Amino acid sequence: MFLQRRVRFAYVLILPSLLMITLLSVVPIVEGVIVSVQNQNMLRGNPTAFVGLTHYLRALTDEPLFWPSLAKTLYWTAGSVAGAYLVALGLALLLNMEIWGRGLFRALFLIPWVIPDVCTALLWKWAYGDEFGVINFLLAKFGLIGSPITWLSNPNIAMPAVIVVQIWKLYPVMFITLLAALQNVPKELFEAATIDGANMGQRFRYVTFPAIRSTSIIITLLASIWTFQAFDIVYLLTGGGPAGATKILPTLVYDKAFWGSEMGYAAAIAMLMLVCLLVISVAYLLVYRSQAEAA
Amino acid sequence: MQRKPTFLGLPLTYRTMIWFLAVYALLIVAVVAILFPVFWMASSSLKPQSELFARNLTMLPVNWSLENYRNVWLGTDFPIYFVNSFKVAAITTALSVAISIYAAYAIARIRFPGRYAYGLLLLVTQMFPHILLVIPMFIIMQRMGLLNTHAALIIAYTSFSLPFTIWMLRGFFEAIPQELEEAAAIDGASQLTAFHKVILPLAGPGLAAVTMFGFIRSWNEFLFALVFMQSHDLFTLPIGLASFQEEYTFRWDLLMAGAGIVTLPVLFFFLLMQRFIVQGLLGGAVKG
Repeated sequence: MFLQRRVRFAYVLILPSLLMITLLSVVPIVEGVIVSVQNQNMLRGNPTAFVGLTHYLRALTDEPLFWPSLAKTLYWTAGSVAGAYLVALGLALLLNMEIWGRGLFRALFLIPWVIPDVCTALLWKWAYGDEFGVINFLLAKFGLIGSPITWLSNPNIAMPAVIVVQIWKLYPVMFITLLAALQNVPKELFEAATIDGANMGQRFRYVTFPAIRSTSIIITLLASIWTFQAFDIVYLLTGGGPAGATKILPTLVYDKAFWGSEMGYAAAIAMLMLVCLLVISVAYLLVYRSQAEAA
Repeated sequence: MQRKPTFLGLPLTYRTMIWFLAVYALLIVAVVAILFPVFWMASSSLKPQSELFARNLTMLPVNWSLENYRNVWLGTDFPIYFVNSFKVAAITTALSVAISIYAAYAIARIRFPGRYAYGLLLLVTQMFPHILLVIPMFIIMQRMGLLNTHAALIIAYTSFSLPFTIWMLRGFFEAIPQELEEAAAIDGASQLTAFHKVILPLAGPGLAAVTMFGFIRSWNEFLFALVFMQSHDLFTLPIGLASFQEEYTFRWDLLMAGAGIVTLPVLFFFLLMQRFIVQGLLGGAVKG
């Protein structure tokens, strides 16, 4: 009787959150599926007319927008996540040592994480400026470049340039997670490896890395999911330009939905994005399982 | 046996001293490189226009002044955006914390059927791409007549922050020994009273961290504000600042001061609470 009362009590406690999450996350997904098979063109025709898979077919076969955009999104995601992981791992390894001021360095390295996206975009845009940008100024001062680089308006450079910003934004979460994992590696393991004559590279390969492998896989998976759907930085820095060079899927969806008034088509592309995310997640988890079995 | 002095678990020798210096050199280079854009924003926001658009840039302002901040605050709609952002973030945070503490307590302490499924729901909904949710939510808000209102933002932000606030709070509650609560229950307090009088005060720092983190996330949010809001007098800071960028394209003096105003509060509160925020995110796995 007491247990039953406690269980009932638990349901009462979680009910408000359950309602809100269902109404505002689960219902919209369902609504999104519905929109994606309806006309939903704000400008012409009956907006709720059923059109079946028309939008999906248009995205996948007719219009040369989805596939190039997906390729750019994969480039953007892979570049950002790989870069952020390397920065994060390097900093985490440095701060895993028991040195004075560790807490201060840790706090400083987390700062980019909380800077609002709009400010991140603005301050990088200012630093990337062609004529008065500080990056060109410093590069010229040290004699590394002869003429200013047009970071955000050159179609070949814009994508690496926005990836750098995303790395800056993304690495802190990976860093703090890897640092936590490193701190859980028993110190005795290192000592034993050192006594056995392992050098630094060997200690990393055979002691450190195996200990943080599962954390690494999980955090790169999460970072990939976040970056694949990230909108703010690219939208604010380049708006998808120049000449569509940084037109990743989230900016394509936004443009179609809120500038092109094609909600149905945009929702279909967004659904395809969700499918890609599921594929990425499943692929990662399969890798994770095979790694775990091998270990 | 006498122990030799050690450093980083290694004997203290010239070689390890050089190591030690190398590590610090690397750390300092990393801090400078990473924080340079933020430093540059701060420095630029204190410079007059003539120093911003100069052939020879100086790292620090030559004639520094708060003039740009004054111009943004007194000459534009910035105070309105600031108040709007504060209002939306404060109500969102209050609502989500009020709902979350009970839900978090339930999954931390009560083994009820469906507990696992509920936890899974919290994890999965956090993964939903916002760009996917924003289209149907725009349509739903339009249907309900809530477009271009702060209510739309508050509802959306609350639903997004619930999963992670519940998740973080659960960790903090689980760290509190269950015996304390049982003792209170034996003393005749009801479950809720025991929770309010014993657990909540003990979870104080965790609660403060979750509150702060939730506030920062609402304060920073851009996409939903961009899509839902149309009237300038209802804009929050992120979209206000973005609209600035179109209006004052070359006024980097105003833009940098504006960015400074948006960043400062979150930076201050984050640095104040970062230890607890990190602890909450990682379930206490990180040490000093």
